Amino acid sequence: MTQSRSNDGSQGWLGVTIAIASFVASLFLWSDARADTIADMTPAPDGMVRLSEINEGALLLKTVDAGLYVPAPMVATDVALDISGPVVRATVTQRFENPSEAWVEGTYVFPLPDGSGVDRLRMQIGDRFIEGEIHERQEARRIYEEARAAGQRASLLEQERPNMFTTSVANIGPGETIIVQIEYQDVARLDDGSFELRVPLAITPRYIPQDVDFQLVSTGSARGSSAPDARRITPPLMLPVGEPDEGLRLPVTITTTLDAGFDLGPVASRYHATIVEHDGDGRARIRLADGPIPANRDFVLNWRPADETIPSAAIFTEEVDGQTYLLAQILPPAQLSDDVPRRPRETVFVIDNSGSMAGQSMQQARQALIFALERLEPTDRFNVIRFDNTMETVFPAPVDASEANIATALAFARGLDAEGGTEMLPALVEALRDLTPNDQSRVRQVVFLTDGAIGNEAQLFEAIDLGLGRSRLFPVGIGSAPNTYFMSRAARLGRGTFTHIGQVSEVAEEMEALFTALERPVMTNLDALFPADALSEIWPAPLPDLYYGEPVVMTARLNRPGGEMILEGETAGRTWRETLSLDNVDSASGIATLFGRNRIRAIEETRFQGASHQSVDAAVLQTALDFHLVSRLTSLVAVDVTPARPSDEQLAQTQVPNMIPEGWDFEAVMQDAPSAYQDASLDPSLIQRLRPGQDPNAPQLDENGVPLPATATPRELLMWVGALMMLIALIWLLMNRERRLW
Amino acid sequence: MVTQVFRVGVEAPSGEERRPQRRRGGLAGLVAAALLLTGAGLFGQGVFMTAKAELSQILLAQAWARAQNGETTPRPWGWADTWPVARISAPSLGEHAIVLAEAGGEALAFGPAHLAVSPHPGDPGTSIIAAHRDTHFAFLREVMPGDEIIIEHADGRRSVFQITHTQIVHAERSGIEPEGGPARLALVTCWPFGSLTSGPERYVVWAELVDEIS
Repeated sequence: MTQSRSNDGSQGWLGVTIAIASFVASLFLWSDARADTIADMTPAPDGMVRLSEINEGALLLKTVDAGLYVPAPMVATDVALDISGPVVRATVTQRFENPSEAWVEGTYVFPLPDGSGVDRLRMQIGDRFIEGEIHERQEARRIYEEARAAGQRASLLEQERPNMFTTSVANIGPGETIIVQIEYQDVARLDDGSFELRVPLAITPRYIPQDVDFQLVSTGSARGSSAPDARRITPPLMLPVGEPDEGLRLPVTITTTLDAGFDLGPVASRYHATIVEHDGDGRARIRLADGPIPANRDFVLNWRPADETIPSAAIFTEEVDGQTYLLAQILPPAQLSDDVPRRPRETVFVIDNSGSMAGQSMQQARQALIFALERLEPTDRFNVIRFDNTMETVFPAPVDASEANIATALAFARGLDAEGGTEMLPALVEALRDLTPNDQSRVRQVVFLTDGAIGNEAQLFEAIDLGLGRSRLFPVGIGSAPNTYFMSRAARLGRGTFTHIGQVSEVAEEMEALFTALERPVMTNLDALFPADALSEIWPAPLPDLYYGEPVVMTARLNRPGGEMILEGETAGRTWRETLSLDNVDSASGIATLFGRNRIRAIEETRFQGASHQSVDAAVLQTALDFHLVSRLTSLVAVDVTPARPSDEQLAQTQVPNMIPEGWDFEAVMQDAPSAYQDASLDPSLIQRLRPGQDPNAPQLDENGVPLPATATPRELLMWVGALMMLIALIWLLMNRERRLW
Repeated sequence: MVTQVFRVGVEAPSGEERRPQRRRGGLAGLVAAALLLTGAGLFGQGVFMTAKAELSQILLAQAWARAQNGETTPRPWGWADTWPVARISAPSLGEHAIVLAEAGGEALAFGPAHLAVSPHPGDPGTSIIAAHRDTHFAFLREVMPGDEIIIEHADGRRSVFQITHTQIVHAERSGIEPEGGPARLALVTCWPFGSLTSGPERYVVWAELVDEIS
């Protein structure tokens, strides 16, 4: 009895202790849980920018405010474009100046057009020449840190986001000039029989105006008013009409050589006056008619073949390390003659009416669907599926496009409202379910209208890959910011095309273009045949179908040059075949790079077909290293390649031009610049804010800033624990005392 | 009722059975006493720290007066390894404290410390002053951008700073670069406020020099 009661007593005591302990523990947790981060995203002050706000090539100088930069004045830009077929090799050379009297550190940022790849970076800083070399990401970082520790000038180019690269440049001397040259590979877009190349020059507003008026430097601000040329440093505010009367704020020169690979029709720049010199054989040289242009508008160049009806193929090769890289461009007839019959089709429309589509997006999707339904022909079959977190099909199976059936579907479409979650998978699987997989008389198409606001992309890609069969998938991106990554990859896996509708006003035009493509699959079962043992690899594999107005760009690696290639495909029930000689093809640079990029993209996509992460990573890494491409796994680390100066010779600034390494060409931006932009300078108060870098001879500055001391005492903790211990002891003593009385 | 129940229980056991009970009681008493002493010790230590922080400011005030009289390193007590360099106040909150030179010693226990790697407050560059979040810089929790922070110098000059923004940083990667830039103050304390344990995060209040009063 006593025994049990004494146990009761100690259990009670234990209970009290646990209760108090858990109370204290909860206090700890509570105080830590309160440690929410204070929103730190105040707008960047006058004239300063954050890395995330950059939309153009810029050299950013570090300021004393961590994370805030001042863009260095850019004094000249030269863009050289070398176009072979649809392949564009762009060399952008930009000259910047250090406006301050101090050694500063800079970060060069260059946002790239979607889908292009940087493979070369060169810099001239003062009298040093630096060239980037490709290395595995970690390896690159190690090399960079070693060089930095050794006091050498070094720089690291890393992929910040898929479409943005940054590189840090240390030790820019007072007033020094920095020339950055990057080269990237891009592809001209073929649209409705015309090629279009866009060079981004316009400066998109980089500030997101919230509640603050950003008309900063030029207006009221006390600090800015002292700088008459302050507007130079706030390019986002520069309107075309605001250009200075004499000279240019940011002069850009553009030269283009074009080798179209077909007989050239008209060549024109959309916004700028150009002089086009035709050299025959589909070649042309394009230069600006009125000298340098202001950087306030994209440079857009269009060219089209002279004859638009015949499918033609153009072939270019490049020899690299004993291998032949081949680029074949298959240009479908841009206009179909009337005798090509329209193929009957079975089309399944899938429309996303989840909550994320609410408003404009839903309106666009609804209109696009109505437009599509009204275009159906009586010989077609169709069905409509809508999904949010539930799914509904208008007909149990695809039905004939009779008037009554279309009316039913239209009524359904008009009644759609956006609500609920996004469960795309069941709808996708249902749409791909083919009841007549062997029906050769019809083409089967799935038109998928969505904003792609989903997270389970991998699962969906797998479903597309497994369930595609003879169906073709045509995602239509709705809204101003659809998930284009998902859409374009889904289109590739689904062997269809991706259409983007950004505004209600674009619905008719974009859907019309899509339907033209849907009604006329120009070429299917496309294949390229090479002589035995000549072909090493071909990307993309398999070759996608050719749709109306769309080119196929094929890259291949061959073991030997020459021979011939046979292209085969089916057009409107007929077999099309063309034999092309590879003996006297034109050579063009950048084809190997394009091959490498296609290869990386294809390898990344094998992930959805069950390839392991390790094998994908290993293959991507090897390809990126082989082709000198910056990627998810590789970086360019800059190594000083300045030729060694004879020790008995005094180095003077004037000797610099003689010491440019062979093959380096910075001429374009070195020409004497008019004085109008020679004196580009910064607001003095901003110069004052620049974070001083150091003389290269002095020890390196600590990148991380001053380490801060510990500023928390254990005072409260000690008092709490002390009080708790005393409390427990007192309770215990009290209980024991009571027990003795009993 | 309850006492009766207890009594029934107490009557039942024999004397022999009680013995181990009493021994256990003695041991428990000993443990409890030890617990009590340790607890008191810890509590006392906490109280001592509070007292040190509060009382030292009184001694510091005297040393500050000596500094104002022209003494260059007026040590507040004989063995002190620090001395007052300025007086900081936040008029809107009625808070003030004597700022000590951070010369590698224990200055933070007695008051806000000015980090020696940074320029003197009011000179060009970023002057860093750190203090404990639960004592001298507890008021940083209350300050708002736009508030004034006043630094009094030993020679009687006063520098008026205005708070521009606040920030949370990692102690090892503060991003605070003392050299260069306009005259600014970075007031640093531990983050989060009210937490009992110390973490790697620091709360930084930035202020910029707006006026000099001589």
